[in-house]
Amino acid sequence: MSEITNYLSPCSLDDAVRALADGDVTVLCGGTDLMPQMEAGQREYASTLMNIRRIEGLAEITLTGDTCRIGALTTVSEILTSQLLDEVAPVLVAAADQFASDQLRNAASIGGNICNASPAGDMIIPLLLLNAVVELASWQDGAIQTRLISLHEFFKAPGKTVRQNNELFAAVLFDKPPPGFVAHFCKPGPRPALEIATVSIGIGGVLEDGVFSDVRAAMGAVAPTPIRARRVETTLEGLPLNADNIRAASVSAGEDATPIDDVRASSWYRDHLVRVLTKEVLNDVLENTN
Amino acid sequence: MNKKTIATHIEKTTLIGQRVRKPDAADKSTGKTRYINDLVLPQMLYGKILHAGRPHAQIVSIDTTAAEQLPGVHGVLTGKDVAGLKFGFVRDNVALKETVRCEHDEVAAVAAETEEIASQALGLIKVEYKDLPGVFSPEDGRREDAPLIRGDFPGNKSLHFAFEHGDLTAAEAESDIIVDNVFKVHHVTHCCMGTSCAIADFDNNGKLTIYSQTQYPYNYKMDLAPALGMHPGDIRVIQPPVGGAFGSKLDVYPYEPIAALLAKKTGRPVKVLYTREEEFKSAPTRQPAVIHMRTGCKKDGTLTFRSADVLLDNGAYTSWGPTIPVVMMRTVSGHYRVPVIAYNAQAIYTNNPYAGSFRGYGNVQTTFATAQQIDMLAEQLDMDPIEFRLMNAQKPGERTPQQAFLRECALDKCLTTAADATDFVTRQKEYGLLRNSDSRYKKGIGIASSIHNAGGAKIHKSDGCGTMLKVDDYARATLITGASEIGQGIDTVISLIVAEELGIPVEHVTLMNNDSDLAPWDVGVHASRTTFIAGEGARRAAVKARQQILNAASTFAEISADELDLRDGFVVRDKEGSIVIKLEKLLRQMHFQPEPELVMVTDYYEPNSEPEGADHISNMSAAYSHAVHIAEITVDTWTGEIKVDKITSAQDVGRVISRAGLEGQTEGGIAIGLGYALTEDMQLEDGMLKNPCFRDYKVITAPEMPELDLHFIEDGCAEGPYGAKGAAELPTIVIAPAIANAFYNATGVRILSTPLSPEKVVRALILAQQADVSSSDSMATAAVS
Repeated sequence: MSEITNYLSPCSLDDAVRALADGDVTVLCGGTDLMPQMEAGQREYASTLMNIRRIEGLAEITLTGDTCRIGALTTVSEILTSQLLDEVAPVLVAAADQFASDQLRNAASIGGNICNASPAGDMIIPLLLLNAVVELASWQDGAIQTRLISLHEFFKAPGKTVRQNNELFAAVLFDKPPPGFVAHFCKPGPRPALEIATVSIGIGGVLEDGVFSDVRAAMGAVAPTPIRARRVETTLEGLPLNADNIRAASVSAGEDATPIDDVRASSWYRDHLVRVLTKEVLNDVLENTN
Repeated sequence: MNKKTIATHIEKTTLIGQRVRKPDAADKSTGKTRYINDLVLPQMLYGKILHAGRPHAQIVSIDTTAAEQLPGVHGVLTGKDVAGLKFGFVRDNVALKETVRCEHDEVAAVAAETEEIASQALGLIKVEYKDLPGVFSPEDGRREDAPLIRGDFPGNKSLHFAFEHGDLTAAEAESDIIVDNVFKVHHVTHCCMGTSCAIADFDNNGKLTIYSQTQYPYNYKMDLAPALGMHPGDIRVIQPPVGGAFGSKLDVYPYEPIAALLAKKTGRPVKVLYTREEEFKSAPTRQPAVIHMRTGCKKDGTLTFRSADVLLDNGAYTSWGPTIPVVMMRTVSGHYRVPVIAYNAQAIYTNNPYAGSFRGYGNVQTTFATAQQIDMLAEQLDMDPIEFRLMNAQKPGERTPQQAFLRECALDKCLTTAADATDFVTRQKEYGLLRNSDSRYKKGIGIASSIHNAGGAKIHKSDGCGTMLKVDDYARATLITGASEIGQGIDTVISLIVAEELGIPVEHVTLMNNDSDLAPWDVGVHASRTTFIAGEGARRAAVKARQQILNAASTFAEISADELDLRDGFVVRDKEGSIVIKLEKLLRQMHFQPEPELVMVTDYYEPNSEPEGADHISNMSAAYSHAVHIAEITVDTWTGEIKVDKITSAQDVGRVISRAGLEGQTEGGIAIGLGYALTEDMQLEDGMLKNPCFRDYKVITAPEMPELDLHFIEDGCAEGPYGAKGAAELPTIVIAPAIANAFYNATGVRILSTPLSPEKVVRALILAQQADVSSSDSMATAAVS
């Protein structure tokens, strides 16, 4: 049984990354993933538990030039009600609206949702569509160092990311999508709340004169990590968004997905869902741009 | 300050059928209620149970030395400590096991100063198992070469029930249409918000006080005693507020004797409280079954026979679950006028979790079959679906082949009320015509009906309830009843009834019903019986108290008691409503006169019904009632999701007593039924539960609740209080087949198994499409089990 011998609650990023540099720290933010995983015995506490919720300046949503930055501590509720995000990246707000339940949205942070690296993580799919990058901070040579890594390269396996133990997830950033960019997110399930995605899918692009370009597609719960659906993107890029191409994209979605059987669905059903939902999302894109 | 004007006249009003607030509503909604889960007794220890975590095994060795030596541990128990202390419906269970027969089997138990120490101690117990091949379905269990789960039950056979009436061969021969299907219903569990809990405490005279969530305190003593080697009379049961029961607390489960045995061993109170994961794995389930049903009718629509061959998954032990075929039988034989019946039910031991009682008690399973077959027949006859049902619906005064006396029968009214409210026949035709369109979303409407006992169920020698009532010098009434409150609202019903008879505010009635040393006999909360039986007992006691008060008032005022009434805390003249004397003043006068009297009355009410009996031919309930549900759904043919848009219900309730309570019970019943029909599913793989959490075991939550249109048919009942009938279970019973029938209406595809999950729906639709393509008959429909 792991025992917590030290509890930290730093108020500055400086203090937090210094503590991480000393090693053996469990980072706590919203706790909505951490606590149940601990209860279920899937993880063990390190000797130090560090609550990062009090760090100043890490819970802000800002737009500087064309770059939007969401601090790690930003809650899903804050994303859901952000006017800035509603203008810049409505697909992210739409995904927040399908995230767990009100209570969990109030506690869960964007940093936690990304670092938990669930293949079904709801906020990850729209961020993949936005070509987001992750900012990691660490204490090196007596100062804070940051590095940026593309979100689609961030995940290694279920629950595993490239983040080092001495690094703190500081923010997720993305550039304002090009004019005319429209994206949709879809997550089926019989319950409108408290539903872990059986599969989730998001597709976006610029639809101009009937031609679909800058196509970005991402899928959740169909592979060990959330993925960019490259075959779907290639199938659609630069072509008219019509019934034939939508059908072709639906086939490509099936090829991009490598789902497994688990307690939530069979691989057969997941495969079926990504195909039909690709159609649904693309139809939504069409309807909303016409 | 305003001067209060004192009325001189009080109008006659009634509380019956009114909306009154549940007495515990404010405390429950503000978090003030102290549930059993919150209780801490001085010196209390925490008990934890080591579960086997494997479905079938011999325990080769068990070493508890390290656990016993852990500081803070006060006692450890294993199977050898309880040898011979068998309990359960057929005495096939024991609190701690030496052979493992299901995943949650209790292998050892620890009592310690804290929960953490107790958990740590469990980790120190070393058990060596020899795994055995298991049986994971009743079909496999009855095969000749199946592993034997218990030596004392050859062929893995548990309970068997049969009933036959009339000449089946002849009835088949005269049938023009016969539908023949195999229905399969699955494992679900109650999901009470309060997890299972017991606190046991012995005094130095050897008397056990057990704080329990039980919903049947009297028989509970009888059932718990053999597990402890005690006399039932030495057990006192206290029932603190509970977070739900729904039938799950209608038996003794191993954690309860374990708490008591640990308390005995340590000499201190011991509390055992399940975690949510333990609750999912260890709580009883609704009984899964395979139902082979056949129903026949003539061209003119007259039903000719119904046969049902039922195979039930008993699980590893026999709780009350395996007795559900008795209730299944009543619906098979008694729903609609069916002259010939052949019913056969066999429960088979498996290494799955074991089934207990669950709201609807077998009728949920049977009605999934009967209501779909009635729907199939109506379609094959090409008859108006409501007409077909009406022509086969019994009339008041008819008896079923099992001799259930349908003294009042409002099935026809339930059918027409629900059908009229939804324009059922027209809409069903309309949606049926649209079913082959290209549209992704398809709409459907489906109807289902059933019958249930509504005046208790005499499965014991007695189905009665004892009541004591006192009215004190301040005109406050206290009613002591054997009937338990498990959230179903008997507290409201009884307060309302006493207030009605004594003409006092509902808030001036206190209910005492949570201590078996205090409260008189009752059979328990089950069979939709409590309003009917405890309510009638309360009414009879209150009428006696009222008469005593009116007689005293008559002497005081020199007015005949017949001309007096009790209203609003006053004795009044019945006709004019003019005040004679304030009730509390009269009560004090009665008390302090030369020949003093207190108002203290008792009543024992035994309903007019007959014991079920071995031949199953008896009028086992004092009343029966029907319910009809109409479900309107939208099917997403791409994802397989079924959205329930609206449920219209028409239920014969005799008479509404507590309106808000009845609505709440109906809505809650529908929610449980919807979960069963659509989303709830204990996913078992070789006896091991794969989804022991609310994330993956999906109960219906508030946003999924459809629009509800509830109609209560109030035609009265000769025996229930004010004409009321029991009403709690029917809403859960009729919902799944209504949805299955609506699904057929929407898509032309039959799904014969629960739940109608998105994946199953998609598979069924694809299968049907393939069958359609390969078949020249474009009307081909597919049935999926």
